[in-house]
Amino acid sequence: MKTLNKYKKLVLLSAVVLLGSCAGDEPLKESQLDLSTPPKTALDNWIDTNYLLPYNINVQYKWNPNVVDNNRFLYPPIQAKVQPVLEIVQKIWLESYKTVAGPNFVKNIAPREFVLVGGVNLNTTGTITLGLAEGGKRITFFETDNVDKKNRANIKRFLRTIQHEYIHILNQTKPFDEKSMATITPTGYSSAWYNTSDAVALEEGFLTAYAKSNINEDFAETAATILVSSKAEYAAILAAIVSPVARASIKSKEAIVVKYYKDAFNIDLYKLRDEAEKNTNDVINN
Amino acid sequence: MKIKQIINYLLVALLAIQLVSCDNKETLESPFSGTPTERLNAKEKELNDLLMSSELGWKAVYFTDDTQLGGFTHLFKFKDGKVDMASDFDNDTSIQSSEYDIILGSTVSLVFTTKNRIHLLSDSNSFPVASLRGKGYLGDFQFLYYGQENGEIIFRTSRSFKELRFVKAKATDWTDLAQSRLMIPNVVGAVTRPLFRLLETNDGTKINQFDFAFTSTSRFATSNSIETGSSVTNNIGIAYTPTGIIVSPAVKVGTQELSVFTFDAATGSFNAKGTGAATATIRYSNQPLVITDDYKILLPGNQQNVYGYIAANLGTAFSNSLYCTNLLNAANATLPSTQKINRIQLYFNAGVNGSYIAYTFTGGKATIYHDLKVTDDSINKTLILSDDGWSTGTAPAFLTAIDKELLDPKGLYVKREKFTIGAPNTIYTFTSASSNFRITTYAFQ
Repeated sequence: MKTLNKYKKLVLLSAVVLLGSCAGDEPLKESQLDLSTPPKTALDNWIDTNYLLPYNINVQYKWNPNVVDNNRFLYPPIQAKVQPVLEIVQKIWLESYKTVAGPNFVKNIAPREFVLVGGVNLNTTGTITLGLAEGGKRITFFETDNVDKKNRANIKRFLRTIQHEYIHILNQTKPFDEKSMATITPTGYSSAWYNTSDAVALEEGFLTAYAKSNINEDFAETAATILVSSKAEYAAILAAIVSPVARASIKSKEAIVVKYYKDAFNIDLYKLRDEAEKNTNDVINN
Repeated sequence: MKIKQIINYLLVALLAIQLVSCDNKETLESPFSGTPTERLNAKEKELNDLLMSSELGWKAVYFTDDTQLGGFTHLFKFKDGKVDMASDFDNDTSIQSSEYDIILGSTVSLVFTTKNRIHLLSDSNSFPVASLRGKGYLGDFQFLYYGQENGEIIFRTSRSFKELRFVKAKATDWTDLAQSRLMIPNVVGAVTRPLFRLLETNDGTKINQFDFAFTSTSRFATSNSIETGSSVTNNIGIAYTPTGIIVSPAVKVGTQELSVFTFDAATGSFNAKGTGAATATIRYSNQPLVITDDYKILLPGNQQNVYGYIAANLGTAFSNSLYCTNLLNAANATLPSTQKINRIQLYFNAGVNGSYIAYTFTGGKATIYHDLKVTDDSINKTLILSDDGWSTGTAPAFLTAIDKELLDPKGLYVKREKFTIGAPNTIYTFTSASSNFRITTYAFQ
């Protein structure tokens, strides 16, 4: 008992010494790191006003080695190209969804960050990656230096990236009918999709060759093709298909996409397409 | 009892440690001047001040990978987050403005954050050779700061970790970029120069020779020793200057390393001089670097051998010299539009007919034969063809220019080549010993 008491006292004493030992230190000072906000350019302010504040979407156009694949040979955009590109995305993508799905739709389900890359992301296989969506949070756009707002085909190609990647983000929020999708062209999917041309893919029941990679990409490509095409352009794509089976397959996929938009988000896909088309014409003509 | 004692000692030790634990740290002798954060901040400021300190900016000759690519000269002028830049990547050597940043990662580094000239080296879609598809010119635009030496800033590239030095630029450097571009044709080599080119090193006692083949798209030259049994190579990346070239890796001459070559317009050669008698030169030669005995099987007494230039297959062969192509075109131009030289076939020891050249034509024109006497120059190892009569009686005027080259009095260098063109047949080239004439043929045996 006595011994135990002695220990108790000793422990108490050491605790007091321990707690009191460093009491005399100087108070904490402010961080030595530079925490000041770097000066903002007119472009930075424009991005704040049009993307960051209304949609909580950050735009990284200055090179940040941490958000781009270091094994790729890519480079940052020409600064003067950044705002025109963002204006196109704002007009054709953001505003179309805003009009058709309501002002809060994109605010609620949106990528939190855009990364702009000026150059082409050419793979060693010869295929080109147009965009990346990482975890539904960040979309990387490539080739922003090449966007030409007077060229309809060029804009369509660029807009396909955001439409396509955003569909992946929507799918991550609410899944689509994967079972029905998988039964339409079950044998057509292949990891070597790039060996097939778009024209051949059409005859197999896929709107693009990339759609052949898996059902998720097939769904996104089907929806993106509808959204970047006008009603007449899309009808022309279908009319040019020789195989009736292939055309029927694409129509079945289209029906799944339309149903998904309606059931999951109460959006009329065709209305959204018409709105995007109207806005695309506005961009080209102004 | 024993355990109790141990515990007692331990407690005493613990107390003792606690009592001294808050000893004044400031008195410790630190080998560093501050905390890590303070030192990184200081380094960041040091680099930024350094970059802005040079009145006329900085120059860097950037060899992205000197095992397969040459060097690209860049000029930079830094001012408060903005950088003016120019490069000799292409003919646009104008100064362009963009942004830079100094960022903190594993160390302090310089990053060119918006597009400018340096990014041309890092474009996956613009590559000099097929093997670099998707990799451009392997360029970096983030450079890790490693200090300074003799007024130069030492960086290492972030991806490939290669050293890159920024040296203080002079006013002339900015105008020299356009001048450097004018050096390119001299490195590529003019068609009016002799057909053979070599890199020769001389350390004062021993001369070594290397063949030399330059690819302008990648700014890279392959150069292999011509000595039999030697596998020494001197492959070099090349950067252009107004007066010549800079090579990397440097050419080794004895114990010295030479990297700055000066162009000599009179001979078309590039010369580098070290200390003492050490020199390296890239020069032209009228004579093949390696002279073969391939001509010997064509001499009288051997079996029949036939070699044919076939216009449809070999008209565009890279191994035809421009002079040869020009002569063929000139001869064709004298013929009616439906007729062209179809083949030039060299027959050696063809039975009773001996040796001769057969000129055949398209469009129904009759074949013309030129009989030959065949001898050799065994010292210079050339095959000498001389006139022994034409099937047409006199020499047809439109063929004399070509025929004269084949019958060069100094002879022809005959070479069995290692490559094939459009057919499995072995390729032989016949090169005039006194002019830039070289014709490509198929061996028919």
